[in-house]
Amino acid sequence: MKETKEKTEDGQDVIARATSGEYKYGFTSDIDTDIIPAGLNEDVVRRISQLKGEPEWLLEFRLKAFRYWLTLEPPTWAHLDIPPIDFQAISYYAAPKKKEGPKSLDEVDPQLLDTFNRLGIPLEEQKALSGMAVDAVLDSVSVRTTHRERLAEMGIVFCSFSEAVREYPDLVRKYLGKVVSYRDNFYAALNSAVFSDGSFVYIPKGVRCPMELSTYFRINSAGTGQFERTLIVADDEAYVSYLEGCTAPMRDENQLHAAIVEIIVEERAEVKYSTVQNWYAGDAEGRGGVYNFVTKRGLCRGDYSKLSWTQVETGSAITWKYPSCILAGEGSVGEFYSVAVTNNRQQADTGTKMIHIGSNTSSTIVSKGISAGHSQNSYRGLVKVAPQAEGVRNYTQCDSLLLSGTCGAHTFPVIDVANNSAVVEHEATTSKISEDQIFYCNQRGIPTEEAIALIVNGYAKEVMNKLPMEFAVEAQKLLAITLEGSVG
Amino acid sequence: MSSSDSGAFAQYLDLARSNADVLAKGRPALLGDLNAAGANRLEALAAAYRPAAGEINACRLDTLLAPDYGVNIARVPMQADVAASFRCGVPQLNSLLAVVVNDIFRPTDTLLRNMPDGLTVCSLRDIPAQFTDDAAAMLSDTGASVADAVADALTTDGVYIRVAPHTEVEKAVQIVNIFNSPVAMLTPRRVLIHACEGAKVRVLLCDHTQSPATAHLSLQQIQIRVDAGADVEFYDIEESSAATHRLSTLRAVQQRDSRLTVNSDYLSGGTTRNEFDIRVDGNGAYTSLSGLAIISGEQVCSNNVVLRHNAEHCTSRQLFKNALYDNARGAFGGRIIVDEAARYTDAAQTNRNILESADARMEASPQLEIYCDEVKCSHGATTGQLDERALFYMQTRGIPRDEAKRMLTQAFMVDVIDNISFEVLRQRLHILVEKRLSGASADCSTCATACHTQPTEE
Repeated sequence: MKETKEKTEDGQDVIARATSGEYKYGFTSDIDTDIIPAGLNEDVVRRISQLKGEPEWLLEFRLKAFRYWLTLEPPTWAHLDIPPIDFQAISYYAAPKKKEGPKSLDEVDPQLLDTFNRLGIPLEEQKALSGMAVDAVLDSVSVRTTHRERLAEMGIVFCSFSEAVREYPDLVRKYLGKVVSYRDNFYAALNSAVFSDGSFVYIPKGVRCPMELSTYFRINSAGTGQFERTLIVADDEAYVSYLEGCTAPMRDENQLHAAIVEIIVEERAEVKYSTVQNWYAGDAEGRGGVYNFVTKRGLCRGDYSKLSWTQVETGSAITWKYPSCILAGEGSVGEFYSVAVTNNRQQADTGTKMIHIGSNTSSTIVSKGISAGHSQNSYRGLVKVAPQAEGVRNYTQCDSLLLSGTCGAHTFPVIDVANNSAVVEHEATTSKISEDQIFYCNQRGIPTEEAIALIVNGYAKEVMNKLPMEFAVEAQKLLAITLEGSVG
Repeated sequence: MSSSDSGAFAQYLDLARSNADVLAKGRPALLGDLNAAGANRLEALAAAYRPAAGEINACRLDTLLAPDYGVNIARVPMQADVAASFRCGVPQLNSLLAVVVNDIFRPTDTLLRNMPDGLTVCSLRDIPAQFTDDAAAMLSDTGASVADAVADALTTDGVYIRVAPHTEVEKAVQIVNIFNSPVAMLTPRRVLIHACEGAKVRVLLCDHTQSPATAHLSLQQIQIRVDAGADVEFYDIEESSAATHRLSTLRAVQQRDSRLTVNSDYLSGGTTRNEFDIRVDGNGAYTSLSGLAIISGEQVCSNNVVLRHNAEHCTSRQLFKNALYDNARGAFGGRIIVDEAARYTDAAQTNRNILESADARMEASPQLEIYCDEVKCSHGATTGQLDERALFYMQTRGIPRDEAKRMLTQAFMVDVIDNISFEVLRQRLHILVEKRLSGASADCSTCATACHTQPTEE
C-alpha cells in the first residue's frame, strides 16, 4: 500500500499534465469553477459553444437544434415508465475538473472492489475505475501515446470530439448530423444543442485499423458528461472495431444521459461497434439510477459496406436505445446482436431498425432479453424494405427469458415490406428456464444460482461470441453478477 | 391527410343529435341507452382522436369516416332481391338463415320454422323480455375507439343470438349481410352472440354487395360471450365490392374451459380493417384465431389482434396469411398480453405473407407483452415470395407459370382453411380461394353460404 501512495505522490504532476490536456485547448482556470447554472436557453447554448471555443458553424448547428428541440415533446411510445424530467433543473455545462477521488484502494467501497475482482479487472485498472485514476492514468497516458503514434502513422484520426472540431473541422463539418439529424427525435435534438464531448474516429481509404479502438485507452472519454457525441467514419475499404463502455460498474451523478453515435461506412468498408453498458441501475427498490436515452445509427453509404452492432446492456435504470443501420449502398450488410439484462426495477426498451434502401442488402438481428426481479424488458424493432430495394434478405430472432413471476418481457417488432423480392423472417419466443435443465445441473452438484448463470450464458452465447475476446470474458461474468440474487 | 380530422366524426354526431326524434321512433329502451351513450362518447373521443403512428392512411378511422355517408336512421326498407341473388329460400337449405339488408334484420321462414329449442336468433329491436337484461349488459360493454362510438350513436338494429345452457345447436346459424343502396351509405351493425354454460354454436357471417357502384361503409361490431364450458365457432367471410369499406371490431370474453374459434377471410372488398379483442378470463380456455386475405388491385386489408390472457392453463393459436397482388396493401398487428396471473399460458402466433407484385406492400407487427414467467409464447412472421425452385420445377413438368403460381398460392393458404372444422365451409372455401386466385369475380355461384346449392351433409 505504501508503494501505491508513493506512486500517487509521484504522479501528481503527471495528473496535472494529463488533465490539463483539456484546459490547454480553451479552458482557463477560472472556468474550472465556472458551472453554468441549471437551466437551458439560447444563452446557455451560446455559452457552451463559447467556452469550448467552437467555430461559428457549430454554434449555428447547436442553435438550430435547440430551437427545434423547443418544439418537441419527450417521446412516450416506448414501453417505459419514465418519471417526468425537468430539463430546466439540469446543469448543461460543468467545466471538467479533477474529482476528489479516494486516495487508496482502502477507501474504495469494498463491494465495488469485490465486483472488480470477480470481473477479473487488473489492479491498475481497478484503481482508475474507482476514481483514483493515478497509476492507471500514468498507464493509459503511455498506452494512449504509443497507440496514438502508431495510429497517426496510418493516418487514423482517433481523438476527442472537441479536439476534432479544432484539428479536423472540415471532416467533422462534412459528417456531423448526416446520419442522426438534429431533427431526428427529442433527445437527439437536445444532444445536438448541448453535447459536451465524445469521440471522433476517421479511418482513411484502404486502412485496416490494427487494434480495437477502445475508450479504455482514452482518459478524455472520462468526464465527458451526459451528452456524449461519437462520430465514426470509415472511408472506402477501411475497417475498424470500436469498443464503447466497460464492464465495470460506472457510477455517475448525472441521471440523464442522452448520447448520439453516428457512423458512416463508405464503399466496401466495415465497422464493428461493440458496447458493454453497465451504468448504475439504481437500488433494488428502483431509487436512483441512470436514464440512458441514446440515439445510435449508422449509414452504410457505400456499396458492399458492413456495419455490425453488438451490445450487452446490463445497467441503467431506464434504457431507450435503438442502434440502427441505414443500408443504402448496394449489397450492404447490417447486423445487430444484443443481450439486454434487466433486474430489480430496471426498464429497458431496446432494439434496432434496419432500413433497406439499396438492392441486395441483408441484415441479421439477434436479440436476447433476460428479465428478472420486477423489471420490464422490451425488444422494439423495425425492418423496412423500400420499394426499389431488390433482393433484400432479413432474419430476425428475438428471444426472451423470464426469471421471475413479476417481471415482464415484451416484443414489438414492425416489418414493413414494399418490394416483392424481399425475404423477411421474424421469430420470437418467450419462456422461462426449464426446470429440467436446472434439475440436471443440481444433480451434477451445481447449485441453482450457478446453474442459472450457466444456462443464461449459454442462452446469450450467440451474441457474446460477436464481442471482441477481452470484452467477452468480462461480459460473461457480468451477466452472472447482474442476475445475482434474482432467483428466489 | 397528415393531421387528424375530427370533422370526420363530428358530422355523425350532428346527424345523431339533429335526428334524435327519428332515431327514437319505435326504438326499444336498450337501443335508446346505446344511442345516447354512444353520442356522448363520440363527442369526447372525436376531439381526443389521434391516429396511431405508422397506421396505413386508408385504414385510419378519420379517413374511413371522412366521406359524408348517409345513415338509414329512418329505417327505410331497401329493396334487396334476396331470393333472386341468393335463392336463400331453398327449402333444403341446411342452415338457420337470416338476412341483414344494410342494417335491417330479416329472418327467413326457414329460420323461424326450424329454430331449435334453446336458440334465440332475433333482431335487437325485438329481444324477448327475459333476455333484455342480458343483451343490455352486453351492449354496455362498449368499444374504446371513436368509430365504435359512431356506430353506437347510430345503431338502429342488429342481431341477437343466444344459446341456452347445455344446448348444442346442430345447424349453423348463417347471417347474410347484403348492402344495397342507391346512395353512399354507412351501416352500423351489431351482432351479439351469447353462448351460455356448456352451449355449443356455429355462426357464419358473410358480406355481399348488390349495388357495387355506390360507396358503403360497414361499421360492424361483434360481441361474443363464451360462458364456462361453452364452444363457439365464428366464421366471417367478406366478399363485397371495391367501394364497400369495412371497419369491424370483434370483442370476445371467454370463461373457464371454454373454446372459441374465430376465422375471418377477406376474398374481396374495398378497404377493410378488422380488429379482434379477445379476453380470456377463465382457466383452461382454448382460443383459435385465423384468417386469410387475398388482396389485389387497390384493396387494403388490415387485421389487428389483441389477445389478453388473464387466466391459468390457457392455450391460444393464431394463424394469419395474406397474399398480395398489384397495388394492394396489407397489415397485420398481433399482440398477445399475458397477465401476471396467467400462469401456464401457451400462446403461439404466426403471420405469413406473400408479395406477388412489385408494388404491393405488407406491414407486420407481431407483438408479445408478457408479465409472467410460467409461459410458453412464440410468434413468427415472414414476408417473402413463392419458391422460385418450386415454380421452376412445375414449369419443367409442363405447368404454365401462372398456373403454377396459383397452385402454390393455394397451397400456401391451405393450412388456414384446413383449420376450419366446419366441413361444408371448408370445402366451400377451398373452391372460393381457387376461384378467387384464378380471377373469377364474386357472384352468387361463389357465395360462401352456398345457400343456392344443396350442401352435402357433414
